[in-house]
Amino acid sequence: MPGTIVIVDDEPDMLMLLKIILTEKTDYQVLTTSDPNQALEWCRENHADLLISDLRMPEIGGIELLKMVKELDPNLALIIITAFGTVESAVEAMRYNAFDYVTKPFRKEQILTTVEKALRWRQAQRSA
Amino acid sequence: MASGPTFGLIRPAASFLLGNILKIFDFLKRKKSVPPEGWENYLKQKHESFKDLLDANNAALRIMSRMDAKLAGDFVFDMEYIRSRTEMIFQACQTLIEQLNALGDNRYAELVPVFANIKIRIEEEIQAGTASGEKIPLVLPLSQVDRRLLMAVGGKNANLGEIKNRLHLPTPDGFVLTIEAYHLVLAENGLAERVGQILEKVDVDDVAHLLGQSRRLRVLVLAAEIPSQLSGAVHEQYLQLAGRLGYEPQLALRSSGLYEDQELSFAGQFLTVLNVPAPDFFPNYLKVLASQFSPSALVYLHEKGLLRQELAMSVGCLAMVPARASGVLFTVDPLGGRADAMVLDAAWGLGPSVVEGALTPDHFILAKKPQIKVLERRPGNKPVRLIATPDKGGLTSEAVPAADQRQPALTTEELLQVGSYGAQLEEYFGRPQDIEFAVDREGRLLLLQSRPLTLLQPESESELPPAIEDRHPVLIDHGSAACFGVAAGPVFIIRQDEDLASFPPGAVLVARHTSSNYGVVLHKASALVVDIGSATAHLAILAREFKVPSLVDTEKATQVLQNGQEVTVDADHLRVYQGRVEALLTAKREKTSLLAETPIYATLRRVLRWITPLNLTDPTLSNFTPASCKTLHDIARFAHQMAITEMFDLGERVGRDQVHMVQLKTTIPLNLHLIDLGGGIDADRRVRFVTPDAITSIPMKALWRGMSYPGISWAGPIPIDVKGLYSVVSRSLAGPMPDFWARTLAIVSRNYLNYNSRLGYHFATLNAFISEVRNDNYISFRFQGGAADQARRGRRAQFLGAVMARLDFQVEVTGDLVVAKLWKYPRPLMEEKLDLVGRLMGCARQRDMIMTAGEQVDWYVEAFLAGNYRFAGEPGAHPAS
Repeated sequence: MPGTIVIVDDEPDMLMLLKIILTEKTDYQVLTTSDPNQALEWCRENHADLLISDLRMPEIGGIELLKMVKELDPNLALIIITAFGTVESAVEAMRYNAFDYVTKPFRKEQILTTVEKALRWRQAQRSA
Repeated sequence: MASGPTFGLIRPAASFLLGNILKIFDFLKRKKSVPPEGWENYLKQKHESFKDLLDANNAALRIMSRMDAKLAGDFVFDMEYIRSRTEMIFQACQTLIEQLNALGDNRYAELVPVFANIKIRIEEEIQAGTASGEKIPLVLPLSQVDRRLLMAVGGKNANLGEIKNRLHLPTPDGFVLTIEAYHLVLAENGLAERVGQILEKVDVDDVAHLLGQSRRLRVLVLAAEIPSQLSGAVHEQYLQLAGRLGYEPQLALRSSGLYEDQELSFAGQFLTVLNVPAPDFFPNYLKVLASQFSPSALVYLHEKGLLRQELAMSVGCLAMVPARASGVLFTVDPLGGRADAMVLDAAWGLGPSVVEGALTPDHFILAKKPQIKVLERRPGNKPVRLIATPDKGGLTSEAVPAADQRQPALTTEELLQVGSYGAQLEEYFGRPQDIEFAVDREGRLLLLQSRPLTLLQPESESELPPAIEDRHPVLIDHGSAACFGVAAGPVFIIRQDEDLASFPPGAVLVARHTSSNYGVVLHKASALVVDIGSATAHLAILAREFKVPSLVDTEKATQVLQNGQEVTVDADHLRVYQGRVEALLTAKREKTSLLAETPIYATLRRVLRWITPLNLTDPTLSNFTPASCKTLHDIARFAHQMAITEMFDLGERVGRDQVHMVQLKTTIPLNLHLIDLGGGIDADRRVRFVTPDAITSIPMKALWRGMSYPGISWAGPIPIDVKGLYSVVSRSLAGPMPDFWARTLAIVSRNYLNYNSRLGYHFATLNAFISEVRNDNYISFRFQGGAADQARRGRRAQFLGAVMARLDFQVEVTGDLVVAKLWKYPRPLMEEKLDLVGRLMGCARQRDMIMTAGEQVDWYVEAFLAGNYRFAGEPGAHPAS
C-alpha cells in the first residue's frame, strides 16, 4: 500500500534508521526532519497519510505536535516513538487519538507492521 | 643397587612428605586469626558478596547478549539506548570487582585500573558517536584532534588525530577546518536551505539529471564567500604551523566527511587537493566542500541511506610531503588470500597514481606473524610519477627514468616499517585497516590516513561446472578479483566520462582503468571489468561496498569485449564468458539491509568491541590474569572464576572451633558438621544436632540424597589385597596423617554449598550453587590423595574422572588430583548431578586400595553407571575375611 509518511525526531540516527526501513522494500514516500514545524508544514503541503514523531523533542513535544496535527487533519494517523521510561506519556498520547506507539528499541518488523496498520486505518477513514 | 624411579630430584616418598608439609603450611598460613566480626559473620559476609557477585555477573552477561543481538541488523535503537545499557554494564562490572575484592581480601585490586581503562575507551567511543553540545572552534591544530571529536572533524581527521596524538606514529603536521566552518560557510552565504531543496529532488537513476543537479550544487558552493571570521582563524593556524615547521608549507587539503572512513569508506568520493600554496587556500577549500556534491558522492549517499543532515564536511590541511614514493597497505588480504598476510601497493611519487589505478604499481605481500617479513615482491611497471609542481600549486606528471620503472619503489626496511605501523594500527583500531602512506626524499615514512578495510570473500568454494567452455567461449581468463561473485549483462564500454550518462541499468561496466568517476553508475552495474588497476583502487573498494563482481588487471577487456555483447563475469574464477552462463548465475544475491551500515550501528559495534569479545577462556592458562582482560566480558569471566575459587577455599579458612555448627545425626560415620549462612537448615540455631530432613539447602539436600542412597556404603572395610594393605601401611609410615578422622564441614545456605571432607587420606572439596537462575548454577569438585600408593591413587582418580566426564562434567585428572566442573544446567539437572556425585564419593571411598590394574578402571566406571554401587563381581576382589 503506498502512502506519504513524515518522520520527525531530534536524533538524526533515528531518522536515518526509520527512513531506511520504510523505504527499503516498500513504495512509501518518506520525508524526514528534526524540526516539528517543518514536519507540520510537510504534512499540510504533501497531504501526508502518517506522521511518525518522537515523544520528547526540545521545542515542541510529541503530544503538542499531535494536537496540532489533529487540528490540521483529524484523520491523519500518528505513531509516537517513545523510550522505555516514557511509556506513560505515550499512553497519554493515545488519549489524544494517536494511532499507536512503539517503544525503543524495537524491531523493524514491528514498525513496518504498525505503519501498515496505520495506513489501512487512514484509508478506511478516507473512504468512510 | 639400582635406585628407584625419581621425579626430578626428589623421590616419591619424600615428594609426598614435602607436599604434605607444604599443604599444611599453606593451610596454617591462610587460616586466619578470628576476624573482628567473628567467624560466622565473616562467612555470612563472604556469602553475601558471592551472591551479589553472581547477580552482577548475570546482569552484565544478560545486557551484553541483548546489546549484541541488536547488531543483527533489524533493530531500531538510539544513542540513549547505547549509553544507558553501557552504564548498566559499568555498574555490574563495578559490583563484580568490589565483591570479588571483598571475597578475596583485596587480592584483585589490579582489576580496578584495568576496568577504568576499558571504561574510558568505551566512553570515548560513545562520545565520538554523539554530536557535542559544546561550541567547537572553526579551526583546530591536528595535535588537538582525536576520536572524541568525530562529529566535529569527520572520520578521516579523527583517525589521523588518533594516529598522531594517541599512537604517536609519524604523520604530517597540520590543522583541521571543522564541520562548524562548513556550516558557517553555508549559513553566511544563505546556502543551507537551497542545498536542502536541491538534494530533496535528486534522482540518482537519471544520470543526466543527476549530473545537472550535482553541477548546480557545486557551483553554489564554489561561488561562496569566505566569512572573515573563518579566514582569520585559518590564517592564524597557518602561521602557527609555519612557525613549528620553520618554513611556509604548501598544503594537502583532505576531505573528511562526517562518517567517512568509519563504517562507510566513501572511498574516492570526496576530493583531496595536493600541493596548495597559501594564497590559493580558500578556492581549494571550497572545491573540497563542493566535492561532497559530486555525482558519485550523491549516488553513494543515496545508496547508503544517508540524510542531508549527515552531509557535512571537515577538511584536514596537512603540510605537503615531498614524496619519493607512496603507497597503500591493507593489513589483511581483502580478497581472502593468505591468512596473516598484509598486502601493499606502492609507486613512485605522490599517492594518486596508486589509488586511481592509472598504472600497475609494485605489489608486495608481507607476513604479519610471527614477525613482519616480506613474503613476495612483484615490481610493477611505473613509467610515470606525480610530483608537486615546484614553486607553484598543483601536480606534474613526469616520466620515470627507464632504469627505475621496474625497480621497487620501497626498500626492504621501508616495507618492514610500513608493515609494523600497519600491525599497530590494526591492533589499535581493532580491525583490519586500509592505510595510505608516503616516504619523503629523506626516507622518512609518514602515515596519511587509516580506515577500516572492506573485506570480501568468495561466496563459495564452488568448482567450475564441467564443460562450460564448450558452450560459452572464454573471452578473458586472467586478472585479479576486486570483488568476488558472478554476474551477467550486456557490455558497456566507457571510454570517456560523457559515456556515463547513457550507462544502462544492469550492464557490465568495461573500462580502461579504475577511475572513481565511475562510482556514479556503479550502483546500476551488474559487474565491472577493467584493463588496468588494482584491488586497492577506490573504485574497487566501492565495488566491494556495492557488492558488484569485479575483475581488474585483465589487460585487454576494452579490446576483447564488444558493446552490447552479452557476457558473464565470474570474478571467483577470474573469467569472462560469452553469453549468460546460467549454471554460474544460479545463486542470486540480495542486497543486505543497510541498517547495519548506519553510523549508529557503527557506534554500537565500536562500543561492543570493548565489551563482548571473550579472550579469557581457559583458567588454567598463564594469561588468565587481570592484566589480560581486554573487554568487560573478560573482567566478568575473570571475576566469576576467581569468586568460585575464593568460595572453594572458604572452608579451609574457617576457625572450626569458633563458629556455631550443628552436627548431622546420621548413621553414616562422616562426622558431618554444618554451618548455616541462612536458609540452609530448618532448625533452631541453638541445637547441636539436626537430622537430614532438616536440610533445606538445595545443593546439600541433593548431595545428601546421593550420599545416603541405598546401597552406598560408608562404613566397614572393603575387600583389599595384600599389596593394597601394604601400600596403606607404607603411606602411614611415609607421612603424617593430617586430620585423619577430622570432621567433614559443610557451609550451606539455601542455594549454596561448600563441602570439605578430609576423610582418611583424601581431600574432597565440593562447591555448588543451585538456584532457578540457570546462569548462576555450577558444581565445582576437587578430589585428591588417598591411602594407597601413587599408582593406585592415580587409578582411582582416573575412575572418578571418567565417571564425572560421563556425567557431563568438564574434567581434568593430574596424577591423583581430580578437578571437575559443571555449569549452567537447569536446577533439576544440577540436583540430579549432585545426587550422583554424592553416590560416587561413597563408592570411591577406599577404592584406591583395590585398583590394581589400569584396565580395571573401565570395569568400575561401567559398574557405577549401571547402578552396581557395591561393585558386585569386581575383578580381583578377595572376599572379606
